[in-house]
Order: sequence, then C-alpha cells, then structure tokens
Amino acid sequence: MENSSSNSIRFLLNDLLYKIDFSDNKSQIKPTTTLLNFLRTQTNLKSVKEGCAEGDCGACTVVMGETEHNEIHYTPVNSCLIFLPMINGKQIITTEYLSEKKDDKQILHPIQSALAETYGTQCGYCTPGILMTMFAIYKNYSDPDEKTIKKLLSGNLCRCTGYLPMLEAVRKSSKNREDKFSQKEKATIEILKNIKNHSTISIKQNSYSYHIPCSLNDALDIYNNNPEAIIINGATDTAIRQTKNNEKLFNIIDISHIEELKYFRKDNDNYYIGAGLCIQKLLGFLKDTITSLYDTLEYFGSWQIRNLATIGGNVSTASPIGDTLPVLISLKSSVKLKNITKERIINIEDFIIDYRKTSLKKDELLTEVIIPKTPDNNIIKSYKVSKRKELDISTVSTCFNLSLGANNVINEIIITYGGMAKIPCRAKSTEKFLTGKKWCKENIKEAGKILFNEFEPISDARAEAMTRKIICRNLLTKFWSENQN
Amino acid sequence: MEEQIIKHITGESLFVNDIAEPNDFLTGDIFYSSKAYAEIKKYDISKAKSYPGVYAVLSYKDIPGINQMGPVINDELCLAEDKVTFIGQAIFLIAAINRETAIEAKKLISIEYEELEPVLSIEDAIKKNTLMHPERKIERGNIEEGLKTSTHIIKGTLKTGAQEHWYLETQTTLAMSGEGNEMKIFSSTQHPSETQEITAKVLGINKNQVEVENRRIGGAFGGKETQANHTATWAALLCKATGRPVKIHLFRDDDQIITGKRHPFLINYTAGFNEEGIINTYDVELNSDGGAVTDLSLAILERAMLHADNAYYIPNIRIIGKVYKTNHLSNTAMRGFGAPQAVAAIENIIEMIARYLKKDSAEIRRKNFYKTDNNNITHYGQKVENNRLDFIYEKIYKSSEYILRKKSIDEFNEQNKYFKKGISLTPVKFGISFTTSFLNQAGALVIIYRDGTVLVNHGGIEMGQGLNIKIRNIAACEFGLDKERIKIAPTNTSKIPNTSATAASTGSDLNGMAVKIAIDKIKKRLMKFAADIFNSDNYDRKTFYDDIIFHKNFIIDSANPDRKISFTELVERAYINQISLFDTGYYRTPNIWFDRVKGTGKPFHYYVFGMAVSEILLDVLTGEIKILRTDILHDPGRSLDENIDLGQVTGGFIQGSGYCTTEDIKWDKEGNLLNHSPDTYKIPTIDDIPVDFRVELLKDFPDQNPDTIRKSKAVGEPPFLLAFSVWLAIKYAISSICKHTKEPEFSIPATNENILQSIEKLINF
Repeated sequence: MENSSSNSIRFLLNDLLYKIDFSDNKSQIKPTTTLLNFLRTQTNLKSVKEGCAEGDCGACTVVMGETEHNEIHYTPVNSCLIFLPMINGKQIITTEYLSEKKDDKQILHPIQSALAETYGTQCGYCTPGILMTMFAIYKNYSDPDEKTIKKLLSGNLCRCTGYLPMLEAVRKSSKNREDKFSQKEKATIEILKNIKNHSTISIKQNSYSYHIPCSLNDALDIYNNNPEAIIINGATDTAIRQTKNNEKLFNIIDISHIEELKYFRKDNDNYYIGAGLCIQKLLGFLKDTITSLYDTLEYFGSWQIRNLATIGGNVSTASPIGDTLPVLISLKSSVKLKNITKERIINIEDFIIDYRKTSLKKDELLTEVIIPKTPDNNIIKSYKVSKRKELDISTVSTCFNLSLGANNVINEIIITYGGMAKIPCRAKSTEKFLTGKKWCKENIKEAGKILFNEFEPISDARAEAMTRKIICRNLLTKFWSENQN
Repeated sequence: MEEQIIKHITGESLFVNDIAEPNDFLTGDIFYSSKAYAEIKKYDISKAKSYPGVYAVLSYKDIPGINQMGPVINDELCLAEDKVTFIGQAIFLIAAINRETAIEAKKLISIEYEELEPVLSIEDAIKKNTLMHPERKIERGNIEEGLKTSTHIIKGTLKTGAQEHWYLETQTTLAMSGEGNEMKIFSSTQHPSETQEITAKVLGINKNQVEVENRRIGGAFGGKETQANHTATWAALLCKATGRPVKIHLFRDDDQIITGKRHPFLINYTAGFNEEGIINTYDVELNSDGGAVTDLSLAILERAMLHADNAYYIPNIRIIGKVYKTNHLSNTAMRGFGAPQAVAAIENIIEMIARYLKKDSAEIRRKNFYKTDNNNITHYGQKVENNRLDFIYEKIYKSSEYILRKKSIDEFNEQNKYFKKGISLTPVKFGISFTTSFLNQAGALVIIYRDGTVLVNHGGIEMGQGLNIKIRNIAACEFGLDKERIKIAPTNTSKIPNTSATAASTGSDLNGMAVKIAIDKIKKRLMKFAADIFNSDNYDRKTFYDDIIFHKNFIIDSANPDRKISFTELVERAYINQISLFDTGYYRTPNIWFDRVKGTGKPFHYYVFGMAVSEILLDVLTGEIKILRTDILHDPGRSLDENIDLGQVTGGFIQGSGYCTTEDIKWDKEGNLLNHSPDTYKIPTIDDIPVDFRVELLKDFPDQNPDTIRKSKAVGEPPFLLAFSVWLAIKYAISSICKHTKEPEFSIPATNENILQSIEKLINF
C-alpha cells in the first residue's frame, strides 16, 4: 500500500517526474487547483493559456498520456477542467515539449512544421492548444479525412485564421504516427507504470479532502463514511462550479481511476455501459450498436470534453439539456445504483426526479447504464439542435422510438425531449394521440399541434421559448419526413 | 520560416500574461455595477479592505488625477461616482495577493442602489430621443425628386446585432511603478499612446512618466483600441496605491460583460429604382446604439455613412446618422468599424430589388457598380479610382460558375421541401485611411548596431495580422539584408511617441512607410560613405552615389559590381568615421481631407475591392445552415506577403460569417448580458467554415496601385464584409420556401432561431 493515504500525487510533466505533496498546509497548491493554474503559476510552461476557464475554447489544451495495453494512449484534454489529482500516474504533454534543440538547431515536430508552413498561426494565442489537439490527432489517426479533422479540432477556437490552414496542416502532417515520442515510448511506459497508484490515495489539506479510490468497493466505502462528498469523474461539469462560480469544493471523491467502471458489454437482451466510460470511448462502441445514442454523442462537447466526460456523469447531472438523457429515456433504459451493501436497478425516468435532481441516495453511486435492445424494425432516431453544430449545448434535443404494426399503424411511440422542461421529458399527450393511429402526414400534422402546446419551455441565452416550441414541433415532422416510407 | 511563427508554434511567444511577474506582484480585480441605471446611495468597502491578503480597495475618491477616460469626448468615468449607467461599469478596484482573495473581498463590498429607468434597446432610445450627439447628414442629389422619378420604391428596416470581439487573449495589463512618478505598463493595447495618455491623466502625472510597452497581443479586432485603456488605467491606479506591481487579466466573463462590442444598428431605408433594377435614389437613416458613453461611436457612425453606398453609384442619396445613448456597455470599434452595418443594408436592398423584379441579384449588382469613366464619384465627392469592380465580377462570376450553380440550386429547391439552398454574390469597396485625417501618421526608429544587426522600432501593434512579419520583410528588403539580421522591437511609447492606434487596416501602410523613410535616411548616409570608400581606392572609374545598391548583405556599386563591401564592415567603418547608424522616419498619408460639416472630401487614400460567392444549405425544420462553398477574390494590391494576406482574407471572412450567423448577443429585461461566455456566445469553429473554400488574391494589377509601401493595399477589415454573401444566400434559401413571392423577415445575425421564426411567418407547417 505504497501510496495509501499518502498525501501526494505523482505525474510526468513532459519528461520531468513531479511529486506534489499536499501536506504543506501553506502551499498555494490545493487538491482542487486546476492543472491549468498549476502549469501557469508553478512552472515555466506558459504556452498553456487560459481562454475561458470552462472548456469551451481549447486554449488550455494539453495532451494526457496514459498506458493502455503496453502503449501510451494520447488524448487531448482541457487543463482548465482538471483537478491536479486527476492526473496522478499520467503524463501531461505541453507544446514546449514538442520540439527539441539539438546542437543549437531546433528540431520541430512534423505538426509544428506543417502549421508553420501553412501560416496556421496569426496572433498565436490559440496556437499551443491547437498544436496539442493536432499532436493527439497525429498519434491516433493516420491520414484522417476532412470530416474527422474538423470534428476533432472543433474544440479549439481560433478567431484569426478562419481555420483553413489548420485543416491543410493536419492533412499534410498526419500521415504516420512516428515521432520522438514513439522512440521514448518504452521508457515512458516504465515510468508511468511505476507511478500508477493501485490503491486509494486520500489527500487531506486544511479543509480540503480529495479521495482517489481505485476500486468500486473502496469508493463505496469512502462514500459511506463521507456521504457529503461530491462525486466526480471527468469533472467537466463540477469543475465549472469552481472556475466560474468560485465555489470551494472541499470534499471530493474522484472515481476516475476506477478501471472496473469503464466497460461496454452486451448480452441477448441488453447493452451495459459502465458509468466511468468516457464519451469518446463509448462512441467507439456505439456506431454499430446504438446508433441513436451515437448520433447525439457525436455532437457531445468537444473531443477534449468527450475524453473526460463520462456517461455516468452526464446521466447523474440530470440536466434538462444533457445529451444522453432523451435518448436513454426513449430507449427505456435503466440505471444500476450501488451502495456498500446493496444494489438496485431503476428505470431512468424514475431516476430523474427534478431539475438537476436524481433519486440517488447519499451513499449510492451510479455504476451502470442498461439499455435494452430494441426490436430490429423499430425506427429510432435522435436529433440535437443547437445554435452552433459543434461544441454547443442543445437548444432542443429529442429521441423518437417508433414501433409500427401492420398497415403502418403506430403500435408504440416514445418521444422524449430535452430543453423543453426542467427535466428531460416525454411528450406523453403526443405519444397518446399517435398510438394506434396511422403513420401518415395528416396525423403528424395534428400531432404537431399537440406537441407545440405540450411544453412550456423557458427563454434564455440560447433561445426564446417560441423558438424551442417551433423546433420541438418541427423535429417530429423531420422524423416523419425521413421515415415516411 | 518566419521567426514570429516559430515562436508561436514552439510556445515561446510571450503575451502580457506570460511575462514573468516580480515576486511581490498583486492581482487586480474589478467590482462592477450590477444595475443598468441607478444612483449609488450608499456603499461600504471597509470589510473588503481589511480582508487578509487585500492591499487596496479603491473608489473614485482615490483617483489622484482626473476621473475621466473618454478617448475622444470626456464623457467616460474611470470609476463610477454617484451613478452607474451600465452593467459592467467599474465602481471599485481591488488589489490582493491572488485572484481567489480578490473574489472573496469583492463579496464583502456592500452597495445600495436606487434604480432609475434604463434605456435598453435602440427602439426605446429612439422613442425617448436619447441622441448622444447632433445627427449627421451626407446628401447628394435630390431625394424627393429622385423618388418621384423612380419606377419602384421599397421601404424597410434592418436590424443588426452586436458582436463580441472574442479575442482569445482577454484584456491584460501588468503595471509597475519606478522612481518617483514613473509607471511602466505592459498592456495588451492596440493603442499604446492613448493608453499612456489616459493613464497619465487619471494618475495625474505627466505623459513622460508613463511608458507603455507591448510586444504582441492575442487578437484584438478593434476590441483593444480603446477598451484596453481601462484595464491599464485600473492596474496603474492599484499599482500607484499599493506601491507593488499589479496585474489584471480579465476573466473571460468579466471581459465580455465590461468591454464594448460592435454597435447594433437599426436602419430605416427607402430605395427607388427602375425596371432594370438600377437604383436612382437611396434615403437611409442609420441609428446606432452607442451604449452608455461616446467612445468611438462618432467615428464609427462616420465610416458607416461613408460606406452606405458600398460598391454602387447612386445619384440621389441621403444618409442620416444618429448615435443614441443607452444603458448598454460602451459599444466600440470592431473590424469594419461601422461599415458592415451600412453595407448590410444596401446589399439586402439589392436582394429585395432582385426578388421584386424577379431578376438575378448579381446582375443587379453589376448594373449598379461604380463605373470607370462616369458614375464614379461617391456621395461624399471622392472619385473611385483604380476601380476593379467589373473586373473582379467577371472573373468570379465565371470561376465560381455562379449562373450554372444558381440554376441547379433553383432545381434543388423545387424538388426539396425540407432542405433549401441559397447562393449570393456580394462585393465590397472599402475606403482605407482613418476618416479623422490627422490620425494618418506614423513614426519609426531604425537602429543599426556595430555588429551589423538591425533593430526596428515602429508604432504599430502586432496582433496577429502579421504586421511585424511585413515590417521585417520591408526592412530586410530595403537594407538588402537577411531577415535573420532584423529584429522588430516591442512597441514602446518611449521609442515612438504620439502614435495612432493600429486600426482602420492601416498598420502596414503607415508604419511600413515610416520604417522605409527611416531606412532611406540611414542608407543615404551609408551610400555616400560607401562611395567615398570606393573612390578613395583610386580607381579610374568613379563610383557615383546613385549607383550604390544594398544587396545580399553587401553594399555594391552597381555600375562596377566588383566594388563591394559587406554590410557589417561598412557599418563598423561608418561608426569609426562618426557616421550615425540610426534614424527616425515619419510618414503622413498625402492628400487626404474630409470636411465633416459639408460631408465632402477625399477621406480615403484609396479603395480596396473584393467579392465573394457563397452557397448554403438550409435545414428548413431546424433552421441550421451549412456553408457548402465560398469563392473569394480579393484585391491586396501588390501583396506584401501573400500567405499573410490570404490569412487575413480567410480569417476576416469567417469572422464575418460568425457575425451573420451564430454570434448572438441577448440582453435580459434588467440589462444583463446573457451571452457572456463561449458557453452561449458562439463564434465559428473549424466545422463552420465552408465545406469547399476557395480563397484567391487578385494579381492582375501589379503596377496600377496607390502610392503605398511597395504598392500594397491594406487587408485587415474589408474581407469581413464579404460574409454578407453567406447572409444573403441564407435569405435566398428562406425565400425559396415561398417561391420568392414574399420578402422574408431577416436581420443580423441569422441564427437558426431567427431563421425559424422568419420561416414560421412565411408558411404554415
């Protein structure tokens, strides 16, 4: 139990091994210090910039290296949303480390040369973040197509260039994955193996406590003794409470190191998704399994966010505009909740009880999302409408699950909307009206009228209530128009 | 590879927030108004002052100089006194050991307001007649007569929204005091001289005590022309009060709440035209939301008025310009500086005429273009010289296959109910020069050191537009030296005084010329000296001073190429011979003037031209759009650097397309800005650029260019306006829903929300 209850974390920052001891009560570094603030105040790595402190601009992007099957898996993440202990046992790479000086000559990484040659940098402020995402593309994709590049880079805002040169730079450079990091990979893996914790780390500093359990049982045990703790995994939602609302998060249980919660399984009846599986990895499983969830999650946050955020986190926040919930509800999903003594499985509709409130008890963790397999001939489709397509929160989102019988009569239709009420909500009047009716234009038009008045959404920064009503109604028309035959 | 680019891509580039702070530095923060319009009845800052880690909490009473920071008109307080006039207005300043402490201290400040009735929209301002300054008018011909003789008349109103600059680097200042009253300020400003002036005024010290320095800024787009003064002055006040260095790096949300945006406009227009679509009369009223204080609103309105014609000759034209005071933050300069709003109006009118006459809008545009031999005088009396409108039109009309694509778009729209396409070709003619003529001046200080390296100082600011790359190229070229020998110094008010803002796209025009003039002065001395050296060798052939050239690090007698001396050697010998190796350059744009009272003159040194064709796909049911293809042909004169100019055109266009589509600013009933972070304020991502994006520079007129540095043209602002091709393509797609029989409601931005509401009024689903 080398690390157990020890007050310190270890990580590799570029090629330097760091140990941070939180025992020093006077230290400027707290357990909830973000990686961004750590880099900017405690190191010389000033290439990492703060652009928004909420994960919406990508200027603070760094690449996180983790060992997986004897390889290093490189993912870009927003350092503004990461609490320091989250990087325990991992490597963090910044732009400073991409190039190296040899005999007074600067040897650039292929992506750096490409970006320079295409003039893909103007003011330079977003550039280090862009390079980090480009570096992760370089390490993960060979010759990606334009659509893929755009998807992966849309978490990095640039206000100067109009992006065209970046597209070209990635196209030019991402032909192979070899670079100086490949040469050092074996040695780096050894270091990372050495610093990985295999038992719980419990950090205590003044009023702060931060636990990093490595197993579900440990997590439940800690939670049982500490029911007021905030549970985080990717922290993409929770971190904002600190960075934007200046809340002090004194008591955290970080379940991001629990490997046993990161899985996707299936049997004859169901799909089972571990709550700790990040959205990006989940996407990899969904393409050929649950396409409606895939379609929505493709537009979930940015690549950086998808690498941190988890399905368990998205479900637990119970946000009315969360991306997963309308789909999960329409698919009749349920969730598994566990405490130290027992587990229970409840329908996801019963799980969400109010605005950002769930039926989770004070010692329970959401451990699994269970999605039943739907009959092959069901027509299932999800839509997410937002002001901007990429990296935006939905104005309205929805998922339709339609089962047609003989003569095109609707056996069952489940319609769930996000963004229309204080919780993700089924359009029950509309469902009722359509059930037993023919799947035809006239009925859709009538249903549209019911739907238009079914919800009383709010007006906010994203859209007016009237707009939400229009979108809500139109999405039914859209679903019909795409599936009228 | 350019040195500046290498620094950017290796993460070496230092922005103000990256400068190593002295150990004892403090973090500055701002307590600002949460009311749009209110009297301050009472406040208590004592608890905040005594909070551990807090070193100062300042109110207006602590200002040693004048509580005034208006850049043109003295109507802007540095810190609020007994009244607040917008949400985000600074009331108190705090210096603390770190941001966290400053935020805790802020919570301890109590303040009591008595709310007054605010003006929170331009419509309300017009109703209450809150004119900020007397209205202005530019008029030619006779509107009444013109309308009488017009075959058709259309009237309407166009509303354009605000736009947030969204520079990636928020406003930042590091202020450090020196001996006595000395104050050194590192500020992310576009206008160091003004930052210096206002800081000195507020601190109550002479300008020669204040030194403002800036190496580069992380994007500006006009948002740091006057708005950087605030942060700088606040940091300097806190620095002065505490005696310790103070840094303010505005948090993104604070930056968006405090600092000004592009002016929203409400534009009322009447246009008369004939059966051909030729506009004979244009009567337009430009109403702008100036916000709570004047700032640059008058100059912005003036540029709007001077661009109301865009590329079109209109014989009878009347432009009324009004700036209204509201209780919004102070709207300010942004790329295009008023021109986009006015140009949007006339471009929208052309589309309306086309729809009305059932003709193609590009064709109507061509008919109305300024011509070369006649119909070439603008409404303010300046002749449109080197007019390239017809040339660019012919070229892009063909290369974009405009007519063919339009036909297939119409077919697509016939066949599809829930998806529609649109296309539009729009031009820009943009006047280059500050319309306040005296601002068109610049200075430079060029220094050669004894090792043969060169340090160039100029008054411009590098903000991503590549100014320093261009200046370095100019210097290298003029001296015939490798670029590696040239370094551009950070911009500093102690080196180059009394500069104008790096704005109005004039950065390289003005500073490039000033640098060249300084270099010419040094070269003249070196040429004379070199000729003396060559002639002292007793050759039979005399070297003439005029024959001396600077080439590849050598000084050569071009008539006798064997006579040469290396630059380094010549410099060292010149030093020994007591010849000065540095000099200043001063440039002012020649022959420009403008009479504001009469509304006539030659305000612009020259015009920049460009055109774009954009095609979009509209999802009728969600209001979402995708730009399928954009072709741009833009005139950079003889480009100083094609890569940089392409970057400016591409980036400007995308920024414009954001303005036209997703960049939405909403206010609530109390006057709170709702979109104060990138969570809800959506600038384009890489996914939003045209699927097929073809950007080209016009290279057909290498020699027929204005008398500018190396015959180049300014490039910063004009491409922004090419994005109206996207905006109007969207409108075309919407109007195709009712087969172009109705005029859709349309404004800027065309968010999916506004598009859906417009469609909702056209058809019944």
